[in-house]
Amino acid sequence: MRTQPLYLLNTVASPLAFLFFVVVASRGALLSYGILGGMILTVLTTGTGIQSDLVHYKQDMKFQDVVVSSPVEAPIYVAGIALSEFVYAVPGLVVFLLLSAVRFPGVPPTGFVYSLGGAATLFGALLLVWAFASALGFTIATYFQDIRETFVFSPLISLIMTTLPPVYYPISSIPASIRWAAYLSPTTYAADLVHRAVCGVHSACYEAPSLAAAGVDWAVLLGLTAVLFFLAATKARWREP
Amino acid sequence: MADAVSSRHLSKTYAYRGGSTVALEDVSFDIPAGETFGLIGRNGAGKTTFLRIAATQLLPTAGTVTVLGYDVAHEERQIRSRIAVVPQESRPLYFANTEELIVWYLRLRGMDRRESRRRANGVLEELGLEDVRRRLVSRLSGGQRRRVMAAMVLASDADLLFLDEPTTGLDPFARREVWGAIQRANRERRTVLLTTHYLDEAEALSSHLALLEGGHLVVSGTREALRARIQLPYRVTVDGTTGAEELSRYGTVSGFGDLRLVFAREREARELAQLALARGARLSLAPVSLEDVFLQLVGRPLDEGPEAESAEGAA
Ligand SMILES: Nc1ncnc2c1ncn2[C@@H]1O[C@H](COP(=O)(O)OP(=O)(O)OP(=O)(O)O)[C@@H](O)[C@H]1O
Ligand SMILES: [Mg+2]
Repeated sequence: MRTQPLYLLNTVASPLAFLFFVVVASRGALLSYGILGGMILTVLTTGTGIQSDLVHYKQDMKFQDVVVSSPVEAPIYVAGIALSEFVYAVPGLVVFLLLSAVRFPGVPPTGFVYSLGGAATLFGALLLVWAFASALGFTIATYFQDIRETFVFSPLISLIMTTLPPVYYPISSIPASIRWAAYLSPTTYAADLVHRAVCGVHSACYEAPSLAAAGVDWAVLLGLTAVLFFLAATKARWREP
Repeated sequence: MADAVSSRHLSKTYAYRGGSTVALEDVSFDIPAGETFGLIGRNGAGKTTFLRIAATQLLPTAGTVTVLGYDVAHEERQIRSRIAVVPQESRPLYFANTEELIVWYLRLRGMDRRESRRRANGVLEELGLEDVRRRLVSRLSGGQRRRVMAAMVLASDADLLFLDEPTTGLDPFARREVWGAIQRANRERRTVLLTTHYLDEAEALSSHLALLEGGHLVVSGTREALRARIQLPYRVTVDGTTGAEELSRYGTVSGFGDLRLVFAREREARELAQLALARGARLSLAPVSLEDVFLQLVGRPLDEGPEAESAEGAA
């Protein structure tokens, strides 16, 4: 896919299309949410998206077998693939960062945010989402026999983790009776962190949710990342049973 | 340490939704260190399954396999640092050029840059790949890609090499080049486990062999010991127009398809050949090969295609 740059467009197109849809549907009210949500969706799909290439390398090229029977250990292999595929996130992140610079004019060099702390929170949260999504992508990939199975799973994960939970829209839009369900998705916490940090002073762009506080958000994201790394280490089928 | 690989009562059953397949059952044999060992058998006999278990890609269901003195089930780390594998039907990653890919693989295994370059150059030359060293792997032919896989592994410093049908799809010249590289690895006292459907290849390269059939070990031993299993030195192949009963007067008869194979002593072989010629039958006469041993042991041709033809073409 390194020889097919058009593939990059794909990773920009769907978060952008979704942003467009949300903004139009909300008559512009959710633009800020959408921009930040787009970044989360971009890193999440890039992370889980490694499963397609992992399955391709394993089943079609038998490359995973070459690596298994060598001194190279699984974390190195996965990190290598995840990093090499991070290029797919770059165009999406650039587009959304530009959009947010326009939307949240601020002080250079951070530009779109009001503080370095905000920038650190944004990148920290995105990093965690990318890390746990990659671990998830790897673990799932080792169970698949055929790359076509991943074509079903990737969009499903995206749907469950970004389209349904309050990533592109505030949690208050969800009816109170089922709001608890939103807290089942880790991306809810990431979105909360990012919105809190970036639009802290833009009152229009952030509504404090009923449950989460920044500390809780970090704890959940870190905990989940640790759990998924643990699962990857113990449950992924690096060697087949 | 005398044996590079030791298998004891090894069994493997693949379980999947809706059933299971027994791929290996109670398989025990040893692969001596520093030798090239040929693992042969028909499609589905269990060769790849054995190789993948020994190469720590797959867990056994029962029994033990010791590789370089370590147990495959629990000590895979110690094993992995000293082995390298060309999986069946594996293909090289396509976004690098040939030389980069080999160097990259060696670097990944922990070799330093200079040594990696030196070895990559050596193996490219040895396997006739100098012309494509700067070509993207995605622009190589199927046989060239297969050679790149072999090159990666042969250039490594692993003590034990697993080659699962490394020469499938290669032209006769390229095949000989891979043979040369395997023989060199062998001279360096590295152990090679080779699976192949080309019995001439197995015979030319392996000092020891094992034959699997339906997940069972049929026979294993040195090449000489296996050849000696057919004590009659010649094989006469005649077409089916001559009856088996008549043929049995000349030697041991076995047959497949339209052909009858008669294993005979020199005099009988000559008489039979004259008789068949006089009748205008098609025939060939050749010294027995490993292939004959396996045709006899398994009772059917190993595989349709090149091997079956070479049995006749040998004369
Ligand atoms: N992943 C798998 N799941 C289920 N059954 C399998 C699997 N891999 C192999 N088998 C079965 O196990 C048996 C042995 O297969 P194996 O690949 O070891 O044969 P082989 O000797 O390498 O054959 P070939 O010469 O065709 O490569 C076959 O019956 C095959 O169908
Ligand atoms: Mg096989």
